[in-house]
Amino acid sequence: MGARYASPGQCRAREHTGAPKASRAETDNCAVIGDAIWVEDLHVRYRAKNGRWVNAVQGLSFSVKPGEVVGFLGPNGAGKSSTLKVLMGFVEPKSGACEVFGLKAGSLEAKSRIGYLPEVAVYYPFLTPVETLTLYGELQGLSGASLKQECRDLLELVGLKDAQTKLNKTLSKGMLQRVGIAQSLLGKPELLILDEVTSGLDPVGRKELRSLMKDRQKEGATLFFSSHELSEVDMLCDRILLINKGVFVEERQMDALKDELRKYVLVYSGAPPLVGLASDLDEVGAGSIRASFATKQDLLQGLDRVSQAGGHVDDVVAQEGSLEEYFIERIKEAA
Amino acid sequence: MRKIRVWKALARGVLLESLRRKDLWVVAILGFLIICAAGALGFFGINGLQAFVKDLGVTVLGLFSTIMAVLTSCRLLPEEIKQRTLYPLLSRPISRFDLLFGKWLGAVVVTWAAFLLLVALTAGALMTFNVRFEPIMLQYVVAKMMGLAVVCAVSLAMGTFMTPQAAATLSFILAFGSSMLIRGLIMAYDASNPYMAWIFKLINVSLPQYSLFDLGGRAANIGWSPVPPWVMAFLFTYMVVYCGAMLTLSWAKFRRQTI
Repeated sequence: MGARYASPGQCRAREHTGAPKASRAETDNCAVIGDAIWVEDLHVRYRAKNGRWVNAVQGLSFSVKPGEVVGFLGPNGAGKSSTLKVLMGFVEPKSGACEVFGLKAGSLEAKSRIGYLPEVAVYYPFLTPVETLTLYGELQGLSGASLKQECRDLLELVGLKDAQTKLNKTLSKGMLQRVGIAQSLLGKPELLILDEVTSGLDPVGRKELRSLMKDRQKEGATLFFSSHELSEVDMLCDRILLINKGVFVEERQMDALKDELRKYVLVYSGAPPLVGLASDLDEVGAGSIRASFATKQDLLQGLDRVSQAGGHVDDVVAQEGSLEEYFIERIKEAA
Repeated sequence: MRKIRVWKALARGVLLESLRRKDLWVVAILGFLIICAAGALGFFGINGLQAFVKDLGVTVLGLFSTIMAVLTSCRLLPEEIKQRTLYPLLSRPISRFDLLFGKWLGAVVVTWAAFLLLVALTAGALMTFNVRFEPIMLQYVVAKMMGLAVVCAVSLAMGTFMTPQAAATLSFILAFGSSMLIRGLIMAYDASNPYMAWIFKLINVSLPQYSLFDLGGRAANIGWSPVPPWVMAFLFTYMVVYCGAMLTLSWAKFRRQTI
């Protein structure tokens, strides 16, 4: 998926400074808009029941490139859903700018390019999944035989072929989530915004969803989703954005983060401890030593040293780090 | 064309839901009961009471169709917000006005369907007494349908400003008490100073004049002539203007509402 073209009237010259504000692939006359999502200094607030204003999002800035799969993470109340609601135009921000493909977030033009899955899967109880999809399809601007075919295909894709004529009120939470996923895919949107995407899905459903999302990414769609399921994030995302209490914490490329969290373990015997090289050393009995290394480079050096000292390598293991621990640690630090 | 398709889709959604929720069937059962009641009157003999039966018919028609209009319209938007079904709707490329208009259209279709069902059943009951149908009856039906569209617009507007329960209560007060309210206002501005009279007149004009649409009194009498065409044209204009005003009011509240 290449850069999108916005009408000249929709273009404005902008300059981004400092992380995490990504540079935009804009030409001088601002005709080419590079980002699928662009958020700058976003502030969102709500009036609580006691009449006080509550700041849900404070000065959030980030961007998502076309074709990227970005996970939007944060604990409960971090401001994820509020940000997604601003992107969809459900909530007016207090201040800041928010654009989708260079178009004002919430505008009809922007919404026509987005597929949205709300946090809570509630659909009209007295309609069937096929009627629900037909309704949303018609609102999307689809009609006729192509809409009917797309509804059938999508319901088959999400595994609801046999339940397509049952009333929504008789469906389970997971099945309703599948209806939600199907409606978000109507019209093959260029950007999918998914709030708590795996909510209510069983392990089989999650696997199917992952495969579906990967297919959409291969077709060029951009995926921006919030989730508490870090395993999904781990398997799907190119990049993560972490927020806490409405404030940006950090953004990381998943490959780099996985490398950083990965540990290399060497179990050997007949050689002295690799002091200064290993990050952790343990005796594991009968003269065997277990050495942990932060990088692959350190591991290779360790292997060299053991070999030079005439030692015997018993085992070499690459341990994937826990994204959950990293997440908890970063949130604690940010708090 | 696209807007019309959007309104049609939204209205069909409201109608389908109302059919599945069996609202219309409840009306049909009530209609059946009317026929039974009329049949019971016939059993005791009501020769010469055609006017009474017609009056009873139009009263029941007005009552049930207004209840249907209020209950369908005032819960449309608050329920969408409460159940969060509004999110997938508004994530589509439709404006909030389109959403309101489509929902109002759906409520009007449901109410008209219920009204016409009742009309058919009442007409069937009246025919058993050989009651003669006059052109004024047709005018009554058309005028009542226009009035119900106004009831739907007012109830929908109330629903955007308050809870469904409060909206229903206020809509019922306006629907069934408007003639009393208006009479009170006329008496008040007759007895007030010019400044206050002007305010009362303004309030009077702002209130929905449902009684204008009620030709039931004329229709119930035997031998009354139809109203002139300009009256129907005026009612149509009033309906368009008042519904437009109510939908604009709803949109003004809803267009920036956080959902």
